[in-house]
Amino acid sequence: MISPEERRLRTIAVMAEILEIDASAIAGDQRLREDLGMDSLGSLELLSTISEELRLDLEMERAMEIRTVDDACAFVEQHYAEQHARAGVGV
Amino acid sequence: MSEQEPLAWALSRAGELHAALATEAASHEESERLGVVLSAVKRFGRSLDAFAIDREARLPREALREAAHMGLFALTIPERHGGLGLSLKGACRAVDALARHERGIAITVGLHNGLGTQGLCFFGSEAQRQRYLPELASGERIASFAATEPGAGSDLLAITTTARQTEGGYLVSGEKSYVTNGGFAGLYTLLVRTPHLGRAAQSLMCIEAGAPGLAVGAEEDKLGIRGSSTVSLHLDDVYVPAGQVLGEPGRGSEYAHALLAWGRTLMSGGCIGIAHAAVDAAASHVRARKQFGKHLSQQPLVQQHLADMAARVYAMEALVRLTGAAQQGRAGIDLLSAFAKVFCSEGAFDVSDQCLQLHGALGFLEPTGVARLLRDCRITRIFEGANDVLLVRTAASLLAGVAASAGAPLSPQVAPELAGTARAFDELVDRLDARTAQLRKQHGVALVRKQALLAALARARVSLTAALASLLRGTGETGQEARSLAEHAACGLLADATAQLHILEGEEHAARQERARGIAEQLCQEAPR
Repeated sequence: MISPEERRLRTIAVMAEILEIDASAIAGDQRLREDLGMDSLGSLELLSTISEELRLDLEMERAMEIRTVDDACAFVEQHYAEQHARAGVGV
Repeated sequence: MSEQEPLAWALSRAGELHAALATEAASHEESERLGVVLSAVKRFGRSLDAFAIDREARLPREALREAAHMGLFALTIPERHGGLGLSLKGACRAVDALARHERGIAITVGLHNGLGTQGLCFFGSEAQRQRYLPELASGERIASFAATEPGAGSDLLAITTTARQTEGGYLVSGEKSYVTNGGFAGLYTLLVRTPHLGRAAQSLMCIEAGAPGLAVGAEEDKLGIRGSSTVSLHLDDVYVPAGQVLGEPGRGSEYAHALLAWGRTLMSGGCIGIAHAAVDAAASHVRARKQFGKHLSQQPLVQQHLADMAARVYAMEALVRLTGAAQQGRAGIDLLSAFAKVFCSEGAFDVSDQCLQLHGALGFLEPTGVARLLRDCRITRIFEGANDVLLVRTAASLLAGVAASAGAPLSPQVAPELAGTARAFDELVDRLDARTAQLRKQHGVALVRKQALLAALARARVSLTAALASLLRGTGETGQEARSLAEHAACGLLADATAQLHILEGEEHAARQERARGIAEQLCQEAPR
């Protein structure tokens, strides 16, 4: 079982891989579009890759509201918590 | 403002849209101005030697001067700045009329009145508008828009032309490709990176022709629209004063999307003109040509083709008018303009192709002018957003954010003669909404990778929206011919939507996509280097 911090690091690592930049260049308050050049489709593709890596079912709803790196990490964390609560596994 | 899903938007306003879709102009007052423009365009169009323009790949300067004299560069510029102030809907009709005669001038005028000038109209300061719009309206300056680069076509976030801050403004360096009107423009609106505002922040800037450091490349040798100007631009530390930035620095990407929505709609007007010319040419030919002792026009299959062509044009007009009505009603048109662009560009090609087929071998020869229709319209499936990209993106938007509610049923809101087809429409919308919800639940965000499904979803929506527009237009118009065309158009489009639903409801798409991936990988590996 991986920790929330590790999930965050893996989310950012996926972003870095997609954007072809160093993960250390990505900060939580950076905007996906204006700062990282990721448009709405790019954000969805990012979430799709993360869902495969972390074996999470991520819903389409509210995905378009993600604006920053922190938003994306919070979105992943929320789904992780919900999925594991359904499975009766502690977070 | 976020855009409501087009079907839901139109269904909620069906009662007021009947009249809007039955007219070419946005208002009674505009119809008089538009009437004057259309008469002038007809005279002007007939004066052009379209064959010579295509052969020499050049619009004569006298033609540009005449177009300016007639006000064709003033169509969408506000009246207080010397323009005609036509709505998007009215301007589309004017571009349609031009395109029936010659597409080089239609593209020139369309680009100028859309992407070229609307950046100033929407986002410019009053000082910028006063400085440039009168000259643009008179045609003293022709406008151009430069976004595409060698490494950034559909993906405009990948542009590398950069504006670095300097005293009083910026120094801009980079390269732009496929710049329409670029060879004779007096003012360029450029999309550039402004990295001091964010790693991927972009801005729109105006650059005057002749600016030191700005070099214009040679005209491209094109398959079609050969009279229009298409060049590359090379910028080497071109100084742009801060006062030449349009709107807020850093919002260029958002502004470009808004401008592209206008540009795609105007381009769709041009596609309608091409398709009209094709229908007219086909009808004239089949009326005159005899084979097997009969005129072609008496052959049932030929009649079917001709009716399908005319119905397609009817639906194209209806969908563009729907987009114009949405724009006038201050609704967002990002999705609708993309729908119109895909539908009309494919429609123009299909109708032109069928026109050539009906002409037989004669259609293959340049002197009939039919081949030129096909050559001229081919680019429309590519520029202003390649169709496959638009389909995948609009589907992703529809799935992830825009409300996909179908709204009120259509059948009670159309003429009685069209109610049966409208009921079939209502059933298909319900079926599409249900299957969309199932796919979202089944796949979640992974759906975004299933591009064949996304394309089918978008195509189904495009066909249904065009069917809706046709039925509303047919309800607003009087006369049996209109009702007949509306019914024929809608029936064909519902069949198209049903075919896309078949793809969406089937389970073999995953296997198909995997098989396609294997075949494509092999081909690319073996392709000549």
